[in-house]
Amino acid sequence: MPPRRHRQSQAASAQLDSEVIAKRTKRHLDELERSNYAEPSGSALFPGLEEEDEAPAGRAAKGRARQTISDKKEWKGQKKKKSTMNVRSAVLYKKSLQVLIDESGIANFPPSIPTYLTAGAPPPREPSRLLCSVCGYWGKYKCKKCKMPYCDMSCEAVHNETRCERRVI
Amino acid sequence: MKTSLKIVVDNGAYNIKAGIIGADDGTPRIIPNAVVRSKGDKTTYIGHEITKCEDHSSLHYRLPFEKGYITDWDAQKAVWDGMFSAELLNVDTSEASLLITEPYFNLSNLQDIYDQFIFEEYEFQSYYRCTPASLIPHGNLFTLPDLGSPECMLVVDSGFSFTHVVPIMNGEIVWSAVKRIDVGGKLLTNQLKELVSFRQWNMMDETYIMNDVKESCCYVSTDCKRDMEICRTDPKSNAIVQEYILPDFSLNRSGRVRQPGGSLDESYQILCMNNERFMVPEIIFRPDDIGLEQSGLAATIATSISQLPEEVQGMFWANIGLIGGNTKFAGFHERLMSELRTLAPGDCEVVLYPSNEPITEAYQSAVALAKRPDFAQRVVTRAEYLEMGSNACRRKFHDWKPIEKDLSKGRDPGKTKTGRAREDEEDDGSPSVKRGTRAKGKGRATGRRQV
Ligand SMILES: [Zn+2]
Ligand SMILES: [Zn+2]
Repeated sequence: MPPRRHRQSQAASAQLDSEVIAKRTKRHLDELERSNYAEPSGSALFPGLEEEDEAPAGRAAKGRARQTISDKKEWKGQKKKKSTMNVRSAVLYKKSLQVLIDESGIANFPPSIPTYLTAGAPPPREPSRLLCSVCGYWGKYKCKKCKMPYCDMSCEAVHNETRCERRVI
Repeated sequence: MKTSLKIVVDNGAYNIKAGIIGADDGTPRIIPNAVVRSKGDKTTYIGHEITKCEDHSSLHYRLPFEKGYITDWDAQKAVWDGMFSAELLNVDTSEASLLITEPYFNLSNLQDIYDQFIFEEYEFQSYYRCTPASLIPHGNLFTLPDLGSPECMLVVDSGFSFTHVVPIMNGEIVWSAVKRIDVGGKLLTNQLKELVSFRQWNMMDETYIMNDVKESCCYVSTDCKRDMEICRTDPKSNAIVQEYILPDFSLNRSGRVRQPGGSLDESYQILCMNNERFMVPEIIFRPDDIGLEQSGLAATIATSISQLPEEVQGMFWANIGLIGGNTKFAGFHERLMSELRTLAPGDCEVVLYPSNEPITEAYQSAVALAKRPDFAQRVVTRAEYLEMGSNACRRKFHDWKPIEKDLSKGRDPGKTKTGRAREDEEDDGSPSVKRGTRAKGKGRATGRRQV
């Protein structure tokens, strides 16, 4: 039985590898959508505005009556008006795109109706090419520890020193 | 309805292109769709005010759009308030009519919020909401004025949030064949930021500067393998490498590409752009280079066309228009052309129509539409909204969603140009097939080939 167990564990670790790599790729793709590098993801805060006139204690007093940028700003010749409930709640209660997609119900549409969820381009047909994670040239080799590609010994050394995540075995 | 002021707003996730019909027909006002906070002068700039900002280092951005859809309505309202105010367009919105663009496949719950802002907050007299590509048949991208647009066209819209391939038949988007690649200008700038920060200077907080580096230095390679080898041989000196002189806002120096041979003192910081110049825009053509499991632009166009009625596929290959800021990269259309040729059937002619003004092309087309006498029939009026709410808009603005069944009563199919197509969609649940069949004969009879 030992050989079989060995095979199993190998398969399991290969699966783990690809899972970890898929997670890493997903994380990277999410990072590429950020508007600012230094921000907790999904935060609706705008630190610049707060430090200006809101004391640290001001946070507790927020909630319904909190000021928004659009409230605070007064434009030349703008009539200040009382917004309707609809507009007010859109301004005050920010929802992430994921929440909006869930609420829109498009996930339950029949497949005959195209939606945001079905319109994504199909997967590529050609095999993907590996690029050196250090210099960007074709990456012939993969790090044994983290599977990131590199192109030669000098880039391998840079990788080991600076970037290797050492997580995937 | 009395003739009123008409306003056109192409509401992009990066820049809004806006203007008043009659006053801004030639060129729109370009308004950054963002609220930024400058660390340098500790000031917050909203929308059009951003042009006043001089210190562009470490700007903190708040964008109304997330992945192409409006999620931050506070920020969007701030930018719109400023845009309509006496500081910019200076219009009384309650006396005006509006044409505004929305993203492809906009969510219905978001569309309701558009309606609420436009009628409840700004109290426009009437408005029309549509996607940028749907405006293109009204403009001049494919033809000279007066000749009209082809029956079948495919619009590639590559903007800030993503890249869409949008086939249009007889003026109507064929939604079942619309495809999206999740690569846009925002992702490209962020990717460049990351590469440069790992390889040279930490530019992770310098979105503004890196966007300028991208626009100044990047190009689409027509031979990626060749260019890669050129960059490999001598990374410091080759036919591709370019030096970008980083700005120093404290000295009021802006960034620029260094001209060959120009001497510089040591106070300047240099950014070396080698294979980054083409490997960043390359992602539009090879999304899998960053692990994104989507086909590149050319293959996505081929997929889209393959889902259109066979009889008219040739006309789509022969009428491919390019709009959106990313299509400005040098080499973009040459590369796309060479890849499309290998994918198109041998007997098909492939013709690209790159826009000379890809950022304002949709705005220009919108102006043309808003000036047409029948534009008034497309809009929803404030009175209709007050009576029926967002249902009035759902009924009239033709988009990706099938028209709800209960809407058939009280409909007048002959009233608008799109009446017939809409009627088809109401009959069964699969708009594309039905519409395709209907248009087959028509497309063949009246379609022309562009040379
Ligand atoms: Zn390397
Ligand atoms: Zn490693």
